[in-house]
This record gives sequence, structure tokens and C-alpha cells, in this order.
Amino acid sequence: MPESLLTILKLCALALLYLFFLRVLRAVWAEVASTRTAAAAVPQAPPGRVSAPRRSAGRREKASSHLTVMEPAEQKGRSFTLADELTVGRAAGCQITLDDNYVSQLHARVFLRDGMLYVEDLGSTNGTYLNSHKVSSPVAFKRGDRLKIGSTVMELTS
Amino acid sequence: MIPVVRRNTELGLILLVIIITAGTYTLASLGTTSDLPADIGPFLGIVLALLAGAHVATRHLAPGGDGVLLPIAGLLNGLGYVWIARLDEDLAGLQATWTAVGITAFVGTLALVRRTRDLERYRYTFMLVGVGLLLLPLVPVVGKTVNGARIWVELGPISFQPGEFAKIILAVFFASYLVDKRELLGMAANRIGPLTLPNLRHFGPVLLAWAASLLVMTAQRDLGSSLLFFALFVVMLWVATERASYLAVSGLLFAGGAFAAWSVFAHVQQRIAIWLDPWSDVTDQGFQVVQATFALAWGGVAGTGPGLGNPDRIPLIETDFIFVAIGEELGLLGSTGIIVAYLLMVGTGLRIALRAETPFNKLLATGLTTILGIQSFIIIGGVTRLVPLTGITLPFVSYGGSSLIANYILLALLIRISDDNASAGVGADRRAGAAP
Repeated sequence: MPESLLTILKLCALALLYLFFLRVLRAVWAEVASTRTAAAAVPQAPPGRVSAPRRSAGRREKASSHLTVMEPAEQKGRSFTLADELTVGRAAGCQITLDDNYVSQLHARVFLRDGMLYVEDLGSTNGTYLNSHKVSSPVAFKRGDRLKIGSTVMELTS
Repeated sequence: MIPVVRRNTELGLILLVIIITAGTYTLASLGTTSDLPADIGPFLGIVLALLAGAHVATRHLAPGGDGVLLPIAGLLNGLGYVWIARLDEDLAGLQATWTAVGITAFVGTLALVRRTRDLERYRYTFMLVGVGLLLLPLVPVVGKTVNGARIWVELGPISFQPGEFAKIILAVFFASYLVDKRELLGMAANRIGPLTLPNLRHFGPVLLAWAASLLVMTAQRDLGSSLLFFALFVVMLWVATERASYLAVSGLLFAGGAFAAWSVFAHVQQRIAIWLDPWSDVTDQGFQVVQATFALAWGGVAGTGPGLGNPDRIPLIETDFIFVAIGEELGLLGSTGIIVAYLLMVGTGLRIALRAETPFNKLLATGLTTILGIQSFIIIGGVTRLVPLTGITLPFVSYGGSSLIANYILLALLIRISDDNASAGVGADRRAGAAP
């Protein structure tokens, strides 16, 4: 096989290699650009537009919901504003940190999906109770419901 | 929306990877035997099956996972295989087996770790396993010394390098430990000039990591891994606490430790001497590095062509020096391509860390990316004489079962985290879609 042909083939292989990198860069760029426009679009979207009724309803509920501690008595009235997702546990990384030996490091999660709030147990040792029923899979969390984690009871208030 | 785009990107890139790998494989055969490779059919079939298998598994197990990591890893693995096959056929067969095991480990990790927070809960188990694996080669019966470094473990017919797995397990432990302790560790106590120093007793963990890495360096004589572990811990600590003073103090500790090691140990002195002046002992200690320099120079801009160079002159060419083999036969363009591949992987890993929703995911992604970046820097810098040479594998490219399997597990964890990010971002995506 002539050497010049091998050289041409080698250059083709190198060109393909760099074509690969260009395509990777293009894919990355497309993602970065799309999130940038998405981030820019969110604050501009007027609330309550007809095109996004479900979402805006969800946002309104989120903005006005709180978890208020009912028990123990010395913590009563302490309140947490709900976000898209909240984790409850003993670990410092949780949004709601409960200093209680009956609470697992990562105990439970409260999250918003399609405008509805849900509670999910994250495999805690002592369980999560919603209105005295043990939470085994994600269940809907409605206003007035009482959430018991360890010795803390919290109520969903507006 | 995101999942579909990402998976199709991945498929497109994987097809390109298969073309590049098969093309280079054919070229290497044309170069060495001036004939088409006899086994190009089975070769194509195996590459296709492995990458397609990994791709289909990602589609099912992590549909929103990042789409460029797997193709880049496949490219590095494929190119590495081409050069291993061109240099040593026996090793090539083994490497093919390791790749298959690696891809299986990749799929297995994605299937087993459905949520990263499951990992967070077993932090002290991970710590024990990680430290145990790290120290396993020092255990009398099972540990084995190869090429002066005591990093191998031999259990019956299987021998492996536990350190390769320890680095991932320790990254998981560091991430969960630091999420818990970062506020404490980040508290400011003293100010010295521009640096805010945390309370002195919070440097305890740093000292512990430092002592452990010194132990790895002295007892196992593994300079590269020692540097990798310490750097991993320090970078994660810095990212978790946002305190640059940890970087400064750790840098000083490292410099002190390195200097002490240099003045005490002959093997460290030797490495430094070879780094500064390999020409004074060209035929013996400096031989490897000098041959590598000649090989890279001989390669020039576009290389001699696959199969047309003489990289087999260099000892350990399939493991530590594989970068030089590619550099000789694909030249500056090809070796730059390898570096670009690592840069893209590190960039993607850091982007995943930036997007991560939970602190644990953020730190874990940072740690795993740090491993990839620092490891490739240490070995590429070592063989090109930018830093003193320390034996460590080039991720995905070098020959070696432990390294390949561990790196595929690392890749699976990164993809799992980016899948978590994508499913957490579904709400944001929908908002964006609804906006005019």
C-alpha cells in the first residue's frame, strides 16, 4: 500500500476525530443555550397566562403554603415556607432540620408535582405519618393535613 | 423533551465513535502488516454490541442522563484498544474482556443506584470499605509488589488494584461527610491577611487525609495515587466550604510532605532527578522518559500514522505510556485530541455539578470529575515531563481491568446525577415551554 494513501487516510481519521469533538461541542452548546433562554423566559412569563394555567395555579399554592410546627409545645408556631422540594431530616443538608433522635438523617421529602403537594418517606427508620397513616409511597398532602416525623407534628397551613 | 434530545445526541455520537474506532483499527493493521485486519468483522460487531448495549441501557435506566459522556468514554476506550491491539495481541484480548466487564459494571451501577441519595445513607460503610480497599495491598498474604509499587491484591486467580475502586468509594464518603459538616468546617474563626481561617481544630480531617495519603506514598510507594487522593479531598473540602484557606493550608502541607518524602526516600529522589534531567542516565533510569520524548518528537504534527511508529521501544507502553504511543502515531493533533476529550469530560462533569439540586449530588459530581481530571493530568503531565512521572493509568485508554471497570462505574454515577438533575428540572422545562 503506497505511503501517500496511508497519509491521506490518517488525515481523514484525524478529521473525523475533530468532527466528533465539534459535534460534542455543538450538543453542549445547544443545551446551554436552551437553558439560558428558559431561565430568561421564566421571569418574563406573566403569571396566570391562559397558556400555562396549571403551572401558575401550582405556583400560587406554593407561594402561600407553609408547614407550621404544632408539637412539641416549645417549637409551636415555627413555620417553614414550602418550595418546589423540601427534605426533612436530622442532617444539616436538609431544608427542615429536626434535632430529634427519632428522625433519620434524611427522613422525608415534600415536593410539588403538577401543582399538587406530595409527601414521600425516604426510607426512614421510624416512619413518616400523615394524619396517623404511615406513608409508604408518595401521597397527596392537602391543607390541614398533619405530618408526624419523629416527635414533631407539622400542619400544612396557608 | 430533554431526555429524547440527549439520547439521540448520544446515539449519533456513538455511531461516529464506532466509525473512528474501526477506521483507526483498520489503519493500524494496514500500517503494521499492510493488509486489512482479518478480524475487522468480529471487531465491528463487538464494538457495536458494547456501545449499543450501554446506550440502550441508558435509554431505559437514565433517560435524562447526559448524552456526551458515554460517547467520549467510548472514543477513549476504543482508541486505547486500537493501540493496545497494535502493540500486544495477548493484552488486547484481555482488554476486550475488561471493556465488556466495564460496560456491564456501567449498566449494573445505573440499575443498582436508582437514586444517589441511597448512597448518602451508607456513608460510614463506604468510609470503612474505601479505607479498607486502600490499605488492602499492605496486608501480608494478599498484597503484591509489582514494579516497586505495592498496589496489587491477589485473591486466588483474580488480581486487581483496589485503589482504583477506593477513589470512587471515598469520593462518595467525602461528599456525604462534607454535606453534613460543611457549615461547621466553613465557620470563620481567625483572619490572617486576606485569608479567613476556620477554627484550627477543623483542620483535623485535612491532617487525617494528609496522613493517609502520606501512608499510601511511603508504604505502597504509589506517588500518583497519593497525590490523587489528597487532591480529591482538598478540592471537595474547598467546594463544600467555599474557604480558599483550606486550599492554601493543604498546599503548604503537600509541599512539606513532598519535600520530606524527597529528602527521606531514594525512590522519590530518583523520580525528581529523572524529571529534571533524564539525559544524565539515558540508558537506565532515564530510558523510558527519553524514549517517550523521542517518540513524541518523531510523531510531529500529524504523526507517523497508526502502526507506522516504533512505540514498542518504550517500557510500560500499554499502561502508563499509552498516551505517547498515540502521540507518536497520530502526532500533536491526535494527542491534543485525547486532551480535548478529557477537557470535554471534565467540563461536562462540572456542568452536571453546577446543575445538581442537592448538595450531596453537587459535591459527588465535583469529586468524580476531579478524579478524572487530576488523574489524566498527572499521567499526561508525567509522560510529557511537565510534572515528575508517577505511575497511574490514563482513564479509559490505558490497559488495565481495575482502572477500566472503576472508570465506567464513575461514569455511570455522573450520568445518574445528571439524570436526577433532568427529572428535577422537568417543572422548569414545562414553564419554559409554556412561555411565549
